[in-house]
Amino acid sequence: MDAQFLVSLGLIVVTFALYIGIAIYNKAKETSDFYVAGRGVPPVFNGMAIGADWMSAASFIGLAGTVMILGYDGLAYIMGWTGGYLLLTFLLAPQLRKYGRYTVPEFIGDRYRSNTARLIAAVATIIISFTYSVGQLSGSGVVIGRLLEVDTMIGTLIGVVLIAFYSAMGGMKGITWTQVAQYLVLIVAYLIPVIFMSMQLTQNPVPWLSYGEVISEMRSIDQELGISEYIVPFTEASKWQFMALMFTLMAGTAGLPHVIVRFYTVKTMKAARWSGAWALLFIGLLYLSAPAYAAFSRFILMTEVAGSSLGNLPAWTQPWVDTGKLSLADGNSDGVLQWTELAISNDIVVMATPEIANLGIFVIGLMAAGAMAAALSTAGGLMIAISAALSHDIYYRSINPNASEKKRLSVGRWSIVLATVVAGLIALNPPGAITQIVAWAFALASGSFFPALLLGVWWRRANGPGVIAGMITGLSVTLGYIFAAKYGGFTILGIIDTGAGVFGAAAAIIANITVSLLTAPPSKQTQDEVTDLRYPEQIQYKNGEYYKKDAQ
Amino acid sequence: MKKMDPKQAKAYFRLRTTLIMIYLGIGVLVSFGIVLFAESLSSFTVMGIPLPYYMGSQGAILTFIVLLFFNAVISDYVDEKFGLVPKDSTKETDQAANQ
Repeated sequence: MDAQFLVSLGLIVVTFALYIGIAIYNKAKETSDFYVAGRGVPPVFNGMAIGADWMSAASFIGLAGTVMILGYDGLAYIMGWTGGYLLLTFLLAPQLRKYGRYTVPEFIGDRYRSNTARLIAAVATIIISFTYSVGQLSGSGVVIGRLLEVDTMIGTLIGVVLIAFYSAMGGMKGITWTQVAQYLVLIVAYLIPVIFMSMQLTQNPVPWLSYGEVISEMRSIDQELGISEYIVPFTEASKWQFMALMFTLMAGTAGLPHVIVRFYTVKTMKAARWSGAWALLFIGLLYLSAPAYAAFSRFILMTEVAGSSLGNLPAWTQPWVDTGKLSLADGNSDGVLQWTELAISNDIVVMATPEIANLGIFVIGLMAAGAMAAALSTAGGLMIAISAALSHDIYYRSINPNASEKKRLSVGRWSIVLATVVAGLIALNPPGAITQIVAWAFALASGSFFPALLLGVWWRRANGPGVIAGMITGLSVTLGYIFAAKYGGFTILGIIDTGAGVFGAAAAIIANITVSLLTAPPSKQTQDEVTDLRYPEQIQYKNGEYYKKDAQ
Repeated sequence: MKKMDPKQAKAYFRLRTTLIMIYLGIGVLVSFGIVLFAESLSSFTVMGIPLPYYMGSQGAILTFIVLLFFNAVISDYVDEKFGLVPKDSTKETDQAANQ
């Protein structure tokens, strides 16, 4: 038990106590508190909550490492995951807010007047959110395990108990305010090491302005070594794969139920627009810093670690070599570690860099607390989405429409506990690499929800049979392409499994339009409702007439 | 609640849609547009970083953020111009009341 262990543990315990305290203080009392936080969250704070909800263990732990390893090709993740907010805020969020329901499946069911569509959407929500949360839980297990020096499984179990406790207790209201705190913890934890490294390497405390210098120096090192340059585009995959992945991540972002539901927690369409803007600003802080983090880490590894003698490696290397995520092989047996002999996994770059750069035990502990905040906040949001789909869309709207408020709240709470425990059990022995599962969840969301919501909001003529055909086609094409590309070696234009969403979305839109046009148009009332979504709350469209609410 | 001139309502919708199309166009240009011509744009540099890398790591994201705030401000202005000042928010009724 050393000083590092005590500092990491201390920081994690203090931040957890804060989250749980907030959850207890904001305990949900009504159904609307539980699902949509009573719709009283101000846009700036909602923006922070969206940020914490959005930035998962994959963003916090994996992103900078991915950019470092892939170079330019890793930037598809940066642009894709931020660009999705344009689609969401411009095309979907304010309109969905005006329609005013509790969940995304509920919107699809009511807009398209189809119970079948609602059930398909509810099942899709559960599948997408569930796979995503397995990744979060196993990520938190790795962090707790590595930093508290306990087994990964015990780490995962600790995470499961915490998430089940505070999401079941507080519902959306508790989670929103907890997530605000989690955003602050994770962003501070992420920025401090980047700023420190920037000062160490360039004497400039503003990493976003200073890493250009480091990049130019790396170009000449790369040229000397004769390896492919860091900033040269399309060294890892084709240009089409880059764009397909970027599209999949954008459309997936705009279609993820746990993100969309965040826009239901504000009061008006205007507040939804501002929430989107604040959210991207807060998210952008981390995404703008990740490439700087990547550049500094690579530079330190190239100049300070590579070139040292193998008999005299720094102390931080051993624990990471033991995890199997770092390998240092003396390929040409000269006793010196060359850059090309060093293989580092994407997943450890962010966690290992503070140790590599000697930033001190406090910063390392803070990184642990930040990574936990990222994993727990996203898992919390996902659990609410799963619970809402189960208890609201399936139980209340299909099985027992007469359920009392109290009964629905308790079904909601128990379904969170159940979902967390099942996801936790799977996370004990994760079925695949975290980033891969996350990318598939995005592909599925862009093949199912994105087209259904886009056409539902913007095209009056889209009807029930159309959306059912669209969602089923989109899901099948996406899943089919993932399997064909991954196991069958089948690709179009070099697009691999992670870019599958582009085909899923296209197929779903074509299927929805074709089937809608071949079947009877939706009722006049439905079409009027869709026209009504074009206008802010103060204008109402009914029976071909526009009504303006009186100013107060 | 009083009737509104359909022409005015349609003009409102047309204006908002046009603006959104312009914003999305700019968004596509700074992301997909730059990627499409990445090889030929590599000779330009910003702060010592080749242009495509700079746009992917900073330029595109900053543009997205500016677009979203710009949209929020302009939309508020347009709403006001059409006489659609939001009501006092405490009186807002919850449209999702269980139906």
